[in-house]
Amino acid sequence: MDLLWQGLVNGILLGGLYSLMALGLALVWGVLNIVNLAHGAFIMLGGYACYYMFSGLGIDPFIALPVTMAALFVFGYLLQRHLINLVIRAPMFNTLLLTFGIDVVLTYSAQIAFSADFRTINPSYAGAHFTWLGATIPLVRMIACAIAIALTLLLWLFLARTRLGRAIRATAQNLVAARLYGVEPRSIYALTFGIGAALAGGAGALYGVVSQLNPYIGVSLTAKSFVIAIIGGLESPLGVIAGGLILGLVESMTSLYIGATYTDVASFGILVLVLIVRPTGLFGRTT
Amino acid sequence: MKRPLARAGIVAAFVVLAGIPWIASPSIVQFGINMLLLAALAQGWNIIGGYTGYASFGNSVFYGLGSYGTAIAMLRWHLPFGIGLALGTVIAVIFAALFGRAILRLRGHYFAICTLGLAEVMTAIVSNLEITGRNTGLVLPLLRGDVLFYELSLALVVVATLIVAWIAHSRFGYGLIAIRENEEAAAAMGVDTTRYKVLAFSLSAAISALAGGIHAYWITFIDPVSAFDIGLNVKMIIVTVFGGPGSILGPVLGAFVLSGISEVLSTEISTVAGLFFGAVIVVAVVFMPRGVADLIRRFDKYRWRYFAENVRANRL
Repeated sequence: MDLLWQGLVNGILLGGLYSLMALGLALVWGVLNIVNLAHGAFIMLGGYACYYMFSGLGIDPFIALPVTMAALFVFGYLLQRHLINLVIRAPMFNTLLLTFGIDVVLTYSAQIAFSADFRTINPSYAGAHFTWLGATIPLVRMIACAIAIALTLLLWLFLARTRLGRAIRATAQNLVAARLYGVEPRSIYALTFGIGAALAGGAGALYGVVSQLNPYIGVSLTAKSFVIAIIGGLESPLGVIAGGLILGLVESMTSLYIGATYTDVASFGILVLVLIVRPTGLFGRTT
Repeated sequence: MKRPLARAGIVAAFVVLAGIPWIASPSIVQFGINMLLLAALAQGWNIIGGYTGYASFGNSVFYGLGSYGTAIAMLRWHLPFGIGLALGTVIAVIFAALFGRAILRLRGHYFAICTLGLAEVMTAIVSNLEITGRNTGLVLPLLRGDVLFYELSLALVVVATLIVAWIAHSRFGYGLIAIRENEEAAAAMGVDTTRYKVLAFSLSAAISALAGGIHAYWITFIDPVSAFDIGLNVKMIIVTVFGGPGSILGPVLGAFVLSGISEVLSTEISTVAGLFFGAVIVVAVVFMPRGVADLIRRFDKYRWRYFAENVRANRL
């Protein structure tokens, strides 16, 4: 019973971070109709940015986090504005392939710049933990999960309440109509992609605190973000939170009761099942 | 007017390719086998991805099933290579037909990701079965005959290309293109979309499985991770899109050009080879989004404006 409880807690803590990872991918996918295969590479870059601010300048990772996000925002904005916008009207394969190319470039650049060594952001309080109802909760994981959920809720508020957020949602629903109402899609697309990259950067910084960084983590993180976006649907950030928590719990339960090598089977098995039963995601609208 | 000339050129290129093992060094022949198998895989992907418009990540599953079918038939049941290859192909086709009915209902990215999930699940299942040798994989009997495997791979490329050429000019192919362009309209025009899609998926599966079987016997060792490698599927897509999806010779050209580039790069400047490869993909997608085949066809007319026209057509 204690084991089950601990497993549930671990799953939820992991799931919170997962949902932040997937959030940017789902946003970009929903609004721009691009599946960004370089999303995991953005997470990796965010992790390294935070790592170097921490190890080089001694800045606390949770203070470096907003700086990381701002840097990734600028990077994402420029990338969309000057590169991806050039092929946005091409068939789906082309955008998929372009982001794959970007992923390859970023991964190899990171390998040259940062070396292939494993890195961890390791502040003095990294080992701190507390016990709650018999479950051990590592402090950094708790904070990471809280920040992840807070950022997700912020994005939800931003999309629902602000003028810019409404413009983004309008673009996602109907590009032509949004244009008629004076939305400039070039900058809205760049802005959305920038926000997606910033969220990936934030997730990367948190990932670097709770796990290990190397230049090659991108691909598997992109795949996980996919799964979460599918389970949660692309309609709302709240669906992504649910998707992240579900995946976190499934992985934690699988490694507890079946074996750690089976976690990928479980998560991708769920993916296939969800798609066959509900092609628009568990929480997505039916078409 | 250029048709007979083009045909003569293709036949001449084929004769040169067929003759290569007798004049080139063993390492070039080995490079050639990999290149030809990639061309065959790309051509297989072209049927479901290029013509039908369904971005399959499941072709590496069929490749894996072909590899394992061949290996199991040869090792466990002591059947000759030819029968094993046929068996692996039949298994892959049955698998494609069964799963195709369920997952070809999904559209766009959803189909892509579902097949991606299928590939992950298959890897895990195969690494837990006794008959497939679990995680350690299977070792096939050694046959020293790079020339044989080279010619076999070349034959597969030719057969696959002929199939695609037939598709391009047949009622079946027009149906597939109609599905790619607008599935509802195709159905309204009387195309039996489900049957067409499942057929295209199965054909694609057969070619992938044949390539898998040939590769398994050539390399004499298979394990779950390499046999069901998603990276191989990504390669098929890159090569096809680079060459020209939905064209007859595009995937083959793409496989030849990209294999050549990556081979030269990895021997000359290995540290930045990957970086440069990524940059080639990015530049190609921006400036020649319809692939090498389209570039060759239309460059005469547009000259250097060709690249600017492409950017103008696809930018926001």
